[in-house]
Amino acid sequence: MTFRISGLDIMDNTLTKPSPLPVNKSFIRSALLALFFIAQLMLVTGFSLAQTQDTTPSPRGLKKLSLEELMNLDVTSVAKQPEPYAEAPAAIQVVSSDEIHRSGASSIPEALRLANNLDVAQASSGTWDISARGFNAGLSNKLLVLMDGRTIYTPLYAGMIWNVQDYLMADIDRIEVVSGPGGTLWGANAVNGVINITSKSAQDTQGLYFEGGGGSWLEDFTGARYGGVLDSNIYYRVYGKYFDRGSEVYANGNSANDAWRMGQGGFRIDDEADTKNKITLQGDLYGSSLNIPAGSSQTYNGGNIVGRWSHPISPDSDMSLELYYDWTYWFDPVAASAFGPAGNLIDNLDTYNADFQHHFHIDGSNSIIWGLGYRFTHDVLQNTPVIAFLPATLDHSLYSGFAQDEISLASDWFFTIGSKLEHDDYTGYEVEPSVRLKWDAAPKEMFWAAVSRAVREPSRIDRDVVAPNNATPILAGSSAFVSETLIAYELGYRGEIVPKISTSISTFFNNYDSLRSLTPGSTVVIANNLAGQTWGGELTADYQMQDGWLIHVGYDLLNENIWVKPGASDISNGLEDTSDPANQVFLRSSVDLPGNFDLSPAFRWVDTRSVVSGTTVGMVPSYLELDIRVGWHLDKNVEISVVGQNLLQDHHLEYGFPSATAEQISRSVYGKAVLQL
Amino acid sequence: MSISSCKNRKFYTAFIFLISLWASGSHLRAQTETAIPKEYQIKAVFLFNFAQFVSWPKKSFASPEEPFCIGILGDDPFGAFLDETVQGEKVESHPLVIERYRTIEDIKKCQILFISKSEKNQTDKIFAYLKDRNVLTVGDTDGFLEDGGIITFSTKENKIHLKINPKAAKRVNLSISSKVLRLAEIVEPGKE
Repeated sequence: MTFRISGLDIMDNTLTKPSPLPVNKSFIRSALLALFFIAQLMLVTGFSLAQTQDTTPSPRGLKKLSLEELMNLDVTSVAKQPEPYAEAPAAIQVVSSDEIHRSGASSIPEALRLANNLDVAQASSGTWDISARGFNAGLSNKLLVLMDGRTIYTPLYAGMIWNVQDYLMADIDRIEVVSGPGGTLWGANAVNGVINITSKSAQDTQGLYFEGGGGSWLEDFTGARYGGVLDSNIYYRVYGKYFDRGSEVYANGNSANDAWRMGQGGFRIDDEADTKNKITLQGDLYGSSLNIPAGSSQTYNGGNIVGRWSHPISPDSDMSLELYYDWTYWFDPVAASAFGPAGNLIDNLDTYNADFQHHFHIDGSNSIIWGLGYRFTHDVLQNTPVIAFLPATLDHSLYSGFAQDEISLASDWFFTIGSKLEHDDYTGYEVEPSVRLKWDAAPKEMFWAAVSRAVREPSRIDRDVVAPNNATPILAGSSAFVSETLIAYELGYRGEIVPKISTSISTFFNNYDSLRSLTPGSTVVIANNLAGQTWGGELTADYQMQDGWLIHVGYDLLNENIWVKPGASDISNGLEDTSDPANQVFLRSSVDLPGNFDLSPAFRWVDTRSVVSGTTVGMVPSYLELDIRVGWHLDKNVEISVVGQNLLQDHHLEYGFPSATAEQISRSVYGKAVLQL
Repeated sequence: MSISSCKNRKFYTAFIFLISLWASGSHLRAQTETAIPKEYQIKAVFLFNFAQFVSWPKKSFASPEEPFCIGILGDDPFGAFLDETVQGEKVESHPLVIERYRTIEDIKKCQILFISKSEKNQTDKIFAYLKDRNVLTVGDTDGFLEDGGIITFSTKENKIHLKINPKAAKRVNLSISSKVLRLAEIVEPGKE
């Protein structure tokens, strides 16, 4: 067989014995630690003293909110300000809660299709491959993804396990997607993009919310949330949700037997009593089980607890501290193969993280932000004969610090300079500087340019993988593996070219070095022998046709050129890291109809994708697909909707090497009822 | 599991403890700042939204270039925030402007009139003066709708709610979008 590092698919192919769920002993200990952690935070809250008014929201930020959102704002607290992002000199797209609602997206990966600076491909019923500006290849590893400040990519392979990243969709406030490097502010892994998922505050989710429904692929689902008040200006919510999702199909239409299910519950408390010292405490716990075609199932469990303290000092300065603990557990039955007998791969990961940030102004022309961060991961693997990560137990520390200054050169010119300095156990110090220039050409027009450096630090798969786990492995990681680096050059524009049409154009030229390669030999060794250049752009336009009718158009262009460095070799000649569409086109409309109906169709066209397995190239054909949601507000409290997804074809391939066993995504429909009191 | 991992946990617990102590310290050093009422910032943006979600008869503008005016009668609670909110904005082709009136006699032609709390004692006079003009009257005093106003802001559980009297709007030929009505409490004071 041709060994592919992508997708860890070596593990999922053939028959294996189902095995009982292992008991996770360390969970209790983790929970105790989390409790202690909460107690510490409570201690901090106890010091609350000053009772003062808060900072100013901007007209621009508030005007972006819908009437509903305005009515949900607390008149005595800091408004959420989309503004800093709208004015940020970067390729940022923000998906609002209203857009998510109108799209009928039932999961975070589906909601990410609304951010047109991403390539979102569903590979099977429960797996998605999502990337920005290329490198969407199985274990795509160049995105930094955060949920309410928690970094959620797995250090096992620096990629995302998308199926278990979930909230009640109605509780998501917004998703910000930056395409392009964000290393200076965000740090490790923010190479090709940053996805930042933010949930609503408990204050904005008061009362009872219930949703339920079902359909063809999203077979059944239910969710409930209750938000109340603990004490004057201390709000809470608790929620729970459960769903069953069915299987996808093979090219011949037969079921791939990869149905899955998940339950999740959580809470959030926002203490707004002291406007100078806001405390948020939130946590989630989930369990999920995913059938694999061979007949057994994978288990994903996890939980987290997050404490956040923010301290507005004045309208333009603030301080914040966030501490979190995150636990993930992954159980994956690895089939017996020519390389060894079956076994159960278990990854049990504890993450402890602390981030501090301080933002202030000097003499009106310097806006300075600096911060410190520390992350500790304790990763324990149960290895298998076919694939192993050695050492099985790894403790890893990441220290970071950053500082950035935005200098106003004139009333409409801003220059930003900053850098992140990180130290991780693998590669020592890493520097991620950037410079940005912004010109506010008119009240509603902005041009920006940026040069940045970002790094993708080694993950466990680059260093520690051994497959099979014996003296003569076919594949081995290497302790010589260093960080992949990027220097990115960007140029962008955002504004209203014509009244009522807001446009954003971002272009980039990326220069990569030390990309991951596989050196051929009796043992294929992971190395840094690739380099490459990519260029392209993203364009969006939003046109408010009239009240209650919005049209959105998006287009992405991507060109990639990856090569093997002189004197080195790679088993796929540098083609394995990229299987991306060169063009993507998005067209959405959202219109309010008489009788309290609303209708939102969304088309997407995705260009061909060449997928490489070893030296064989396969083509995923280009496709056009359509999602439609129809919503009907019976009254203020009840809404009924019907959502059709991937309506144009019975089933189509979105990702993966085209073959009889590649999974295709079926047409699906679901209905949903929402009750809000 | 192993002894070393227990040690690590102790170390990190201690670390978190130290961080929280340090945080509470800096917390005590917090400085107080002057108050900025956010309530009126949100209300300002509502006024801006009303301009978009309410339609005025065509004849209320002499030309497509004539400004769309939001007037404030009495003490101005919005300050520069309202001006910043409408800066560069248009309602169809009409540029949005803000005008401030000290007395009833100052009132010129405006499409939206916010009647400040300071005018509470002379609402009868105001509504008599505005009678039959195509003006959307907005206020935030108790009994504003009973006095004859069209939209009033009320604050419940720290959030701004809308109460609307659609009949009063109809009387002066204004039509309020169902988008706004859907979110508002409809009030129709007994006596017409």
